[in-house]
Amino acid sequence: MSDNDTNDDVRTDGGGTGIVPPDDETPTWSERKQRTQGLSRLTYEYFERSRREDQDLRQESDYVERDVLAFPAWPHEMIRNLALSAFFVGMILFVSAALPPEMPNPANSSVTPAIILPDWYLYWSFGLLKLGPLNPSLSILGGQKIMADRTYGVLANVVVVGFVAIVPFLNKGSARRPVEQPFWAAVGMSGVIFSLTIAALSIKNLIPMDSHLLFDLTFLLPVVSATITYAVLKTMREGYMFDLNRRYYRLRPPK
Amino acid sequence: MADEFIKGFGILMVGGLAWMTFAGWYRTPSFEEAQLTGEVTIENPTVFDQIGLVLMDAFFWFAIIGALTFWVVIPLIGEAREYLDERSA
Repeated sequence: MSDNDTNDDVRTDGGGTGIVPPDDETPTWSERKQRTQGLSRLTYEYFERSRREDQDLRQESDYVERDVLAFPAWPHEMIRNLALSAFFVGMILFVSAALPPEMPNPANSSVTPAIILPDWYLYWSFGLLKLGPLNPSLSILGGQKIMADRTYGVLANVVVVGFVAIVPFLNKGSARRPVEQPFWAAVGMSGVIFSLTIAALSIKNLIPMDSHLLFDLTFLLPVVSATITYAVLKTMREGYMFDLNRRYYRLRPPK
Repeated sequence: MADEFIKGFGILMVGGLAWMTFAGWYRTPSFEEAQLTGEVTIENPTVFDQIGLVLMDAFFWFAIIGALTFWVVIPLIGEAREYLDERSA
């Protein structure tokens, strides 16, 4: 054990790490399993080990400057990619062989179907067209609405699509994991849940639930999910090593 | 804890996939009707059909009970043992 191990607390100030880089004494798997510090600790040791190997390489006498801070494509990356590809190809073959889809009669283009719906991935947009109850009626106009419900629905699409479109241009800051910014992670989760609930609202005829309750849940569930996300991430901040990302991005080959 | 999670998750996925396959054969009357949960309408089941029906239920409960075992029962036993050790120590 090194000198830094006198303090048992996890340090997050960027100072001493208290971690012994595994060089000759790589822990056995049973020793690894006995560690209860969690995934962040394991990730840290992983990168710490790669840093150590990098350092050892540089100190060899026949070292030439090259980018050694990486895992080689062969075998590490290729084996992983082949395993993943083989799994998905196998799943496709298995499902298509064991559960072949039924091929029904072709659609009759001369008959309007009873229920008209877009493809499932556009349900959220279809649901935004059904926000008529939110269209405010102004007393100044004598209780009339300022715009038609259909105009309001199209405007809701413009607002949502516009908001999603400006996301790439927002400054993301230095956070790399949700636990580092619980508030914005909660906002993101509420958006994810809203995209699901608004999709459910668009097919409210098919959902066995009171439509008014469904309409309320459409806007309530995102708030609930945001609250839960915020609480969980706030709890996870205890013990999270905020130094992890900064250290990872600092690990670059010297000029 | 992570090991118990992936064991339970693996059982849930493997058992669920096998159950889904058998239920797709025996409990899915049509593409536009109940999926995987419909009535078993097979007439005069052969021996293979009977084996399939048994395996369908077996895989279903294997997925449920197996996942619950690794996610709930075994951690509970571990916690209880830890608690008892602390109390006796």
